[in-house]
Amino acid sequence: MENDPIFSPLKFRNLTVKNRVFRSNISGRFDNEDGSLTQTRINWESKFAAGGVGAIISSYVPVLMEGRIIAGYATVHRDDFIPLWAKLGEAVHSFDAKFIMQLSHSGRQMDLPGVHNQARKAPSATSKTEPLHGFLCQAMSKAEIDHTIAAFARGAWRAREAGLDGVELHSANGYLFSQFLSSGINDRTDEYGGSLENRARFLLNVIEAIRNAVGRDFHLQVKLSAVDHNNVVPWEKRGNTLEDTVAIAKWAEAAGADAIHVSQGSLFPHPLNPPGDLSLETLTTTYDAMISSGVHGMRNYLLFRYPLLRPTFHWLWFRMKKGKPIEGVNLEEARVIRKAVNIPVLCTGGFQTASFIRNAINSGALDGVSIARSLVANNDLVQQWAAGADRPEKPCTYCNRCLVSAMKNPMGCYDVSRYPSREAMIDAVMSVYRVHGQFVIPSKEVMSR
Amino acid sequence: MTGINEPFTAVQIQLRPRMWLLSLTWLIALALLLMGLATVILGAVAFFKFRGEATPAYGDEAAHFAYGSIGTEPNSGLPYWMWKTLPSLFPEQFEGRNDYSAFGFLYAQDAAGRQRDLPIGISRRQVSGVEVVWFNCGTCHVGTWRETQDAPPHIVPGMPSNNLNLYRFVRFILDIAADERLAPDTLIPAMERQGAHFDWIDRLAWRYAVLPRVREGLIEHRARLLPLLASQPPWGPGRVDTFNPYKLLLELPPGSRVPDAEAVGTADFPAIFNQRPRKTMSLHWDGNNDSLDERNLSAAIGAGVTPKTVDHEAIERNAAWLMDLKPPPSPYRPDPSAAARGKTIYMQVCAGCHGWQGADRFVFQGDKIGKVEPIDDVRTDPNRLNSYTQQFRDWQLSAMFAGTRYQFKHFVKTNGYANVPLDGLWLRAPYLHNGSAPTLADLLLPPDQRPKRFLRGSDVLDPVRGGFQAPPCPPANTPSVFCFDTSARGNSAEGHAYGTDLPKDEKQDLLAYLLTF
Repeated sequence: MENDPIFSPLKFRNLTVKNRVFRSNISGRFDNEDGSLTQTRINWESKFAAGGVGAIISSYVPVLMEGRIIAGYATVHRDDFIPLWAKLGEAVHSFDAKFIMQLSHSGRQMDLPGVHNQARKAPSATSKTEPLHGFLCQAMSKAEIDHTIAAFARGAWRAREAGLDGVELHSANGYLFSQFLSSGINDRTDEYGGSLENRARFLLNVIEAIRNAVGRDFHLQVKLSAVDHNNVVPWEKRGNTLEDTVAIAKWAEAAGADAIHVSQGSLFPHPLNPPGDLSLETLTTTYDAMISSGVHGMRNYLLFRYPLLRPTFHWLWFRMKKGKPIEGVNLEEARVIRKAVNIPVLCTGGFQTASFIRNAINSGALDGVSIARSLVANNDLVQQWAAGADRPEKPCTYCNRCLVSAMKNPMGCYDVSRYPSREAMIDAVMSVYRVHGQFVIPSKEVMSR
Repeated sequence: MTGINEPFTAVQIQLRPRMWLLSLTWLIALALLLMGLATVILGAVAFFKFRGEATPAYGDEAAHFAYGSIGTEPNSGLPYWMWKTLPSLFPEQFEGRNDYSAFGFLYAQDAAGRQRDLPIGISRRQVSGVEVVWFNCGTCHVGTWRETQDAPPHIVPGMPSNNLNLYRFVRFILDIAADERLAPDTLIPAMERQGAHFDWIDRLAWRYAVLPRVREGLIEHRARLLPLLASQPPWGPGRVDTFNPYKLLLELPPGSRVPDAEAVGTADFPAIFNQRPRKTMSLHWDGNNDSLDERNLSAAIGAGVTPKTVDHEAIERNAAWLMDLKPPPSPYRPDPSAAARGKTIYMQVCAGCHGWQGADRFVFQGDKIGKVEPIDDVRTDPNRLNSYTQQFRDWQLSAMFAGTRYQFKHFVKTNGYANVPLDGLWLRAPYLHNGSAPTLADLLLPPDQRPKRFLRGSDVLDPVRGGFQAPPCPPANTPSVFCFDTSARGNSAEGHAYGTDLPKDEKQDLLAYLLTF
């Protein structure tokens, strides 16, 4: 283990993480409707910290209520939430893991708007309706952009005040930053639209504002989609290329970013993120929660529900995956970006095999990996690697049932084939509600039955 | 205060204007889709079910003549199952029999000795998938004879249909056009009782397409023909008015009446043996056409074909067969010496107009054979002559089969009756064009001594007088007999007084010779 690159510390400018494994941003509807976080959220993050990851990147944390993706996720839009986040930080730190808050804004990609947002169109870079679900939006005015930049700065300040270890800007996967960055979405004609420099202005202004708010010595990383692949709905434009993203990464570094986190795709979920399968049968039981969220909700639900219509959606979704691996789906893009910048590069995308990650690190493609689903399936994945396993005994199957259950059910692994029984699966999912004192790594507990 | 059903989310507000439109569009689209689907399915089923156009083919020429279609069915026919069902619906008209023999239709027997399903002279053809039956050449030109009342009848193709009471049959068909027993609720179950197997599509098609179409046709024919028929003396068995119904159905505009001067054209069905020697003769009773082909086609129109439905091939096949169809030899065996003497008289008085009977064949020779004899000379009843007019002839030539190789060219208006060859004379009774002289003996009587009222319709030979038995009419009308009254219009027994002034012995000799024809 001493010479294992996975377990060698990763030193950022302002932060050192004990190993190269980051729990990527993932959560469930564990928090309160007003955005205050709960003990369940603390339990959730602690599971992974206890499992040995070097750092937790929080799930999506909105800096404004109008930027929520899903109501029921904790926010950082109020100063009085600082103590709550401080509690969470303490819990994670107790497992010798770092906690990086992912500062976010949904823009138009608002899956479940909740009572705060359902009566208004979402603020966005554009007024064009989101093409997959039909989310409505309204292009932000200059004043609204300034207000939002200030909210990000204030959110970063609150994270620092809470004693957290850094922040990440979620400028990938179709959320507000993506909506500004992507040539496939941004149709503005002011200084925030048109050229790549203009489209990147919002992100760079946010980095500048955060640096002004928290100083130069607080960790700040930026998550970017290496390639937009914006044409999931075939008549949409393709969006940003890898070359565009390399330029954005360099500008982010120059503006004060301490790391780049590489992902893929200009919407979430996207055929390439998270890579793997998509259970339309599960969607027929969960997507109904989203029917009223967008003007295309019913259309999509019918496409999911009726077997005769499914091939249409199947073709739309899976045509982009052809020839792409699941594990390390973004590896080569990360390698290109890492060559272009002088700050560490993290990469997400189906990582689950220790030897694969070692090779990736040794080959210079990346400095660390971020993992979500494989850790949801095996919370102690890092410990299993440390014990010598290359892959877990019951690996994540990339079925994405966790993803498509998120609208209705607590986040967890819903691949019943990985459990001794359906009851065992439900036990594992429900373990997140156990208070801290009772906390046990569920995979150990359940799988050993 | 906003209404409880007011939209409040951004998505609801955005979708609100489209909701009605969407609902309406989907409903209309769904309705159209379902209607389209139903139309396509029903259309496909109907297409396969009701597309058949076929008629049975008969290898034997006589069978083709008796049962083969000439194309009358599409325009004039009755559906087969309706034909089969009428006897059970109108038993009083069919004299309680489950066939059409009450009207004089003839039924032959099949190979197993059973009565055939359809009578002679009724053919069948699938029209748009529905079996339809109607007349052919055999309707009017197949008759019977018997030696005695109890003897079995001999069926003779080519002789006049001496049994068929076409007037009564046509009146019956026209009379039932509006009869409630032809309503689908009565007729369809009755047809099923007769053996028709209908599925629900058939029932729908029959109720809403086939029967309304048939009834509409019957009502139209009734409107056109009934006033004419009602104004005419009943024709009686073996007779038809050839041209007047033809005028009403094809020439004259709806609502027209045939002018009174030409309104009775009733005459006997002719024999049609030996057509080849008649090729250059004036054909029809009034000799208005010297083309066998045109005469045949015109007769087919009388049977019910139209220029669109006519089956030329079938008619030409019959025509070819009739070219040399011989009548059966006379069964009479008169005193040979009397016949020989009679022949001498015949050759002087009759042969120039009518040819003569040789030892083994009829000789179609004579100065005036097949030529028109002026009405002022022959002086027989003029009604048949008057029923064919110059105006009708002009219309025939301009309209019938216009633009095709069948267009009529040979019709002429004549002023008399044609001198017909007398081959098969023993089967042609009653005599004269209108059948007003029941026997040969009566024909040789002076016109004022010929029978005034006699029974028509018998096929029992009269070996003494030559012809079929035709006793005087009973005092009151008797069912299933027809009293021919020479005082009725078109029935006059006047004229053709040739030979009537011969001495009695010579008349007997002449009659003996005529019995050999």
